Amino acid sequence: MENAKTFDPDLIHAIFKLVWSRRAQERARNESADHTENEVEIGSSRKNRPTAANSNALKLSCELLRMFITEAVQRATSISEAEGVDKIEATHLERILPQLLLDF
Amino acid sequence: MDEVGEARSDDFEREEAEAEAELLRDRFRLSAISIAEAEAKKNNLEISPPVMACISDLAFKYTEQLAKDLELFAQHAGRKSVNVEDVILASHRNEHLAASLRSFCHELKGKEPQSDRKRKKASKKDDKSKSEVLHIS
Repeated sequence: MENAKTFDPDLIHAIFKLVWSRRAQERARNESADHTENEVEIGSSRKNRPTAANSNALKLSCELLRMFITEAVQRATSISEAEGVDKIEATHLERILPQLLLDF
Repeated sequence: MDEVGEARSDDFEREEAEAEAELLRDRFRLSAISIAEAEAKKNNLEISPPVMACISDLAFKYTEQLAKDLELFAQHAGRKSVNVEDVILASHRNEHLAASLRSFCHELKGKEPQSDRKRKKASKKDDKSKSEVLHIS
């Protein structure tokens, strides 16, 4: 029940692929700027092929991201409970944000 | 003429890619919000809208950064594909986080001894029946 909600691994995969293909394009552009224009085809050579990910790695990434969000909410919860408010406000998030970002 | 056409199709492609990226971001935010809401509900708390927007945005930026890290880790290990070790390495700053990811990883490995090909199709079912399969392993 606790792990009922998490990310869809396919969604995370799509986002990862997007970032990786962007970076592969950048690399290819830098390379073609270094050399001449003979390497125009992006991502066709083996060297420039974008990174892939296996399915367990994706599920683990989903879990990592889920923990990031639940940690943010839980830490903010403890602050708002200490203040006796039943709504998480921006000030509560501000209080926990620095340590949260250091922890992830 | 040809060049103009090419430039247009280039623009079109870029626009399409941007639209797709935006769609992905929105889908990600929706899942992030539902996770955060479920978590807050456990404590009978509400989350104010700006906090919600902030958390989902942070999580998305973190995802992008994670993607870059994972790619670099895999490349450093001389691999073309990211595996679970890279993800655990990405969480090395926090020992507890790394430990819980490692145990999650063991759970994943324990429940799918089948072939790689089957794994992808069965992944959605596995998520739902996670608790049942766990006891078997």
